[in-house]
Amino acid sequence: MKKIAMIIIAVCGLLLTGLTYFRTDLAGEQVGEIVDRQVREVSLGKTVDEYKNHDERRLQTLHVRILSGQHRGKTYRVQDTYVSSQLLTQRYRPHQRVLVGFVKGKAKLLGIKRDWVLVLALTVFICLLAAVASRHTIILLVSMGINWLLFYGIVCWDIAENGTRTFLIYGTACLLFAGISLFLAQGWSAKMLLTLAATLLSSLLAFLSCYLIMKLTHESGIKYEAVEYATQNPRSLFLAQTILGLLGAVMDEATDLVTSLQELAQQNPHLSKWEFFKAGCSLGQDIMGPLINVLVLIFMAAELPMTILYLRDNNTLHYTFQFALSLGIVQSLISAVGIVINVPLTAAGSMLFLHRTSKEAAK
Amino acid sequence: MTTLSALLVFLLVLMLAVGGVSGLRSFMSVVINTCLIILVALLISWGVNICLTAIIFIPLKLLTIIYLGTHNQKVAKSAFTCALLVTVIISAVIIIFQWLAQAAGLGDQSGEEVVGLSLLPGLSYPQIGILVAIFSTLGAIAEASVAMSAGLLSLHQHQPDLSMQQLLTSGASMGKDILGTAINTILFGFFGSFLPLFIWYQRLNYSLDQIFNDKLFVINGLIIIYSLIGVVMVVPLTSWLLAKQLGQPEKE
Repeated sequence: MKKIAMIIIAVCGLLLTGLTYFRTDLAGEQVGEIVDRQVREVSLGKTVDEYKNHDERRLQTLHVRILSGQHRGKTYRVQDTYVSSQLLTQRYRPHQRVLVGFVKGKAKLLGIKRDWVLVLALTVFICLLAAVASRHTIILLVSMGINWLLFYGIVCWDIAENGTRTFLIYGTACLLFAGISLFLAQGWSAKMLLTLAATLLSSLLAFLSCYLIMKLTHESGIKYEAVEYATQNPRSLFLAQTILGLLGAVMDEATDLVTSLQELAQQNPHLSKWEFFKAGCSLGQDIMGPLINVLVLIFMAAELPMTILYLRDNNTLHYTFQFALSLGIVQSLISAVGIVINVPLTAAGSMLFLHRTSKEAAK
Repeated sequence: MTTLSALLVFLLVLMLAVGGVSGLRSFMSVVINTCLIILVALLISWGVNICLTAIIFIPLKLLTIIYLGTHNQKVAKSAFTCALLVTVIISAVIIIFQWLAQAAGLGDQSGEEVVGLSLLPGLSYPQIGILVAIFSTLGAIAEASVAMSAGLLSLHQHQPDLSMQQLLTSGASMGKDILGTAINTILFGFFGSFLPLFIWYQRLNYSLDQIFNDKLFVINGLIIIYSLIGVVMVVPLTSWLLAKQLGQPEKE
């Protein structure tokens, strides 16, 4: 059964990848194909910038056959320069599918057609997921899909409000995200409500206490101007980012703790309330460290390319830290506070509700 | 006092209050982990070989996350072995997909931020892209393998005479719960990380096709998928490794 399902998923996924690869009628983009068997390439000379960094500019001469739009079927000769470090530019390969633009009748390469790689990666993921989680896969995928849709809705709402009412928008977002994810994973039960309450309460508490600290220290040292790709008030954007990152980790932890404590309550109904609470805290201690590191790595690794660029240009570590890293670190810290607060809160909640129900069951 | 140091002190106090000595260790693991990332950035900017940096720092980061973060040595040992194994596999996957997608460096959107910076850094950004992708997945892989190892080892403690097959079955059912929650952590972590980018796309009316071909979206989308693949691989590998080690041979 499982093997058949996996084969079906793999075949469908590969078909979709192929379809995406060969699709040419993209909205807003024109697609071309590099027809050269070997791309002619010459060096435009080595460069040394003011920081003594050695690099090289190279010129590629390629022939591109246009596959869509009004220039369809024609082949153009295109020249494109790239830098060896490939920071903003890239080296094109023979037979690659590319995105093309036209300036005054001359073709220009805009980038590589990359959408099919995402489809291929998703195929690999879903295949593996099906192998490991079997029937559970469907719920996991549905939950992910709904979360993406919700995220899209939240982004639209944020834009409609033009970056104001951050707390209202992202507070509602948290409620919906947590409610729907937990409902799909656990169904409607006392356990689910307990997890939901613990998640929301510790997220709220963590955010409020950190917000208070930020206010008390006058948000000194936070360079909001360094928020990347900000198209609206960067401060509200930063707060919104933090709320979202915080929620996932806290929900993860609360679910793990409540599940383990429920098992404990069933196995040892004679534990005292205090022992039960202590058991919850000691379970939490093991979870919280690795969980905080998950977010640290997500937030910090994303800043790595920019950090390296800053440092490479002889900026001091202090300056680089402020502009490229401090936002990521503050974000990780606020999430970490949520993860830590969540441990005693969930343990206490479980003590009050799970412990009592298990006692009654024992009688 | 800057906000950052105030928050740091607040976190330390909270972790000490909740976890005592093991709270302190977790706090140290977070601090060391952060310092390691900064050290990696420094080393690469000084021109140290990127592959070599990766080979040294990836196990080092796993060690700090797992050994300092958990106080049961047995759990830590099994989690580390498994996490390292998965990281090696996922690194191969990452290298293949990064080569296919050629998505490295900065996107077209970073125009404003790179003003005043030299754009001829003389470093291989495709290699840096691979390193960033591997680092992003490390946390999730480590967390999932700790959760799996802890669960299976405590099961073995209570019922030491389980056979290898029984351990595998329990591992599979435990894995489903861990997968569900780990996927949420990854997803929301990245939602938070890339919110400004999505608002950017929506504001500038990118079409879906334009988004799916945009370099930054592809980089970020792929990193999410790598992390998910990593976590999915942790589940069967940990239960298989532990079941082989602890499981009683079936009686004939």
